[in-house]
Amino acid sequence: MSVLLKKEMRLSASILSYLFIAFGFMAMIPGYPILCGVFFITLGIFHSFQNAREANDIVYSALLPIAKSDVVKGKFLFSAMIELSGFLIMTILTLVRMTVLSDSEVYRKNALMNANPFYLGVALLIFGMFNFIFIGGFFKTAYKFSKPFVIYIVVAFLMVGVAEALHYFPGLKALNAFGFDHIALQLLLLLCGALLYVALTFISYKKACKSFEMIDL
Amino acid sequence: MNIVEINNVCKSYPAFRLNNVSFSLESGKITGFVGRNGAGKTTTIKSMLNLIHIDSGDISYFGLPLAGNEMEIKQRIGYSTGTVSWYPRKTIREIVDVTKSFYRSWDEEAYQKYMKLFSLDDSKKPLELSEGMKVKFNLLLALSHRAEVLILDEPTSGLDPFSRDELLEVFMTLKEHGVTILFSTHITSDLERCADNIVYIRKGEIQASCSKTDFVKQNGQPNETLEEIFLRLEREAKV
Repeated sequence: MSVLLKKEMRLSASILSYLFIAFGFMAMIPGYPILCGVFFITLGIFHSFQNAREANDIVYSALLPIAKSDVVKGKFLFSAMIELSGFLIMTILTLVRMTVLSDSEVYRKNALMNANPFYLGVALLIFGMFNFIFIGGFFKTAYKFSKPFVIYIVVAFLMVGVAEALHYFPGLKALNAFGFDHIALQLLLLLCGALLYVALTFISYKKACKSFEMIDL
Repeated sequence: MNIVEINNVCKSYPAFRLNNVSFSLESGKITGFVGRNGAGKTTTIKSMLNLIHIDSGDISYFGLPLAGNEMEIKQRIGYSTGTVSWYPRKTIREIVDVTKSFYRSWDEEAYQKYMKLFSLDDSKKPLELSEGMKVKFNLLLALSHRAEVLILDEPTSGLDPFSRDELLEVFMTLKEHGVTILFSTHITSDLERCADNIVYIRKGEIQASCSKTDFVKQNGQPNETLEEIFLRLEREAKV
């Protein structure tokens, strides 16, 4: 497993994949749709797929003494590593906002989404959608990535829009909780996001392995 | 002894069909795989590497069927092409450093030896290498994991006559070390120089698979060179 990840990191990754992890810091920007940071992190991963295609990485990998499913596994491992690194930053900053900055006026007066466990859950769901739509779509051909990426962009921004708007709907104010308010509900939503992330990634990985096994390179 | 066996391989595309392709590679020999552009050389080679799925037929290496033993077989074979370069913007050192982790029999001594022999500089990137040097780099990767069989897809295409000659010299040296080589080409004079056996393909069908001497005996006319024989056979097939 580490060999696959090493290959991804050293040969096919774009530097932007690593730099764009820093978009996790958008969790601290007040008055900004902070979930956009998730999209930018996935945009960084997209650059690595672009890099890999230009470098003939898929065929090179298929020629190595590894199973074809390992080629797919390498891409998923790398993507998950970047996503979870970004998520770690977002989680730490969310905790900062929930604790030391919970009464900060600049965040209290923020009309947009608050950084809380619900936000983290939606972030995981968007990462899961990236794995499901983009990576799964890419492995249908192992070279065409524009269509799955455009579909992902539309879905991701719809999700950002819906998540930003939800707390304005009657009865859903708890989604925008501050500090440790409504913590049980908030943690439940985070758990749902985490489970969906795992499920979407796993289903996509299985589908991608199957598709990649079938295609001619 | 045959080290690679290809039996009745078929692969259909909308506009092309590989039809019952069968031939074998003799251990420690150089086999030239010849045919004009679009004859089916690359499709056959891709089938041999399991990069494409064959409709029917069997491929085996070292007595092991490719299906079910792909990883084991790929530990023992090497592939090079003159038309594609891998990771053009990474240094040779970076590519080698990652690649060697995948091979259990990576031989650092052999790597250093071939680096010297091929005059490669590991701080260079494939982008900065000439076509001939790119092929040598691919050979270096294959030979450093002690590949017993080398499958080379048009390694001499796009090379100037001097680089071609140099590369053919390398093939001869490798043969002396017991390496089995299959190289596809449409440059028939390459075969004259170094091939022991010839596999001749036309429109997806094998026309001949035998030693070079037998091929000339069976198909040649007095004083005809190998190139003249192929040209005549292709012209006759067209009529």
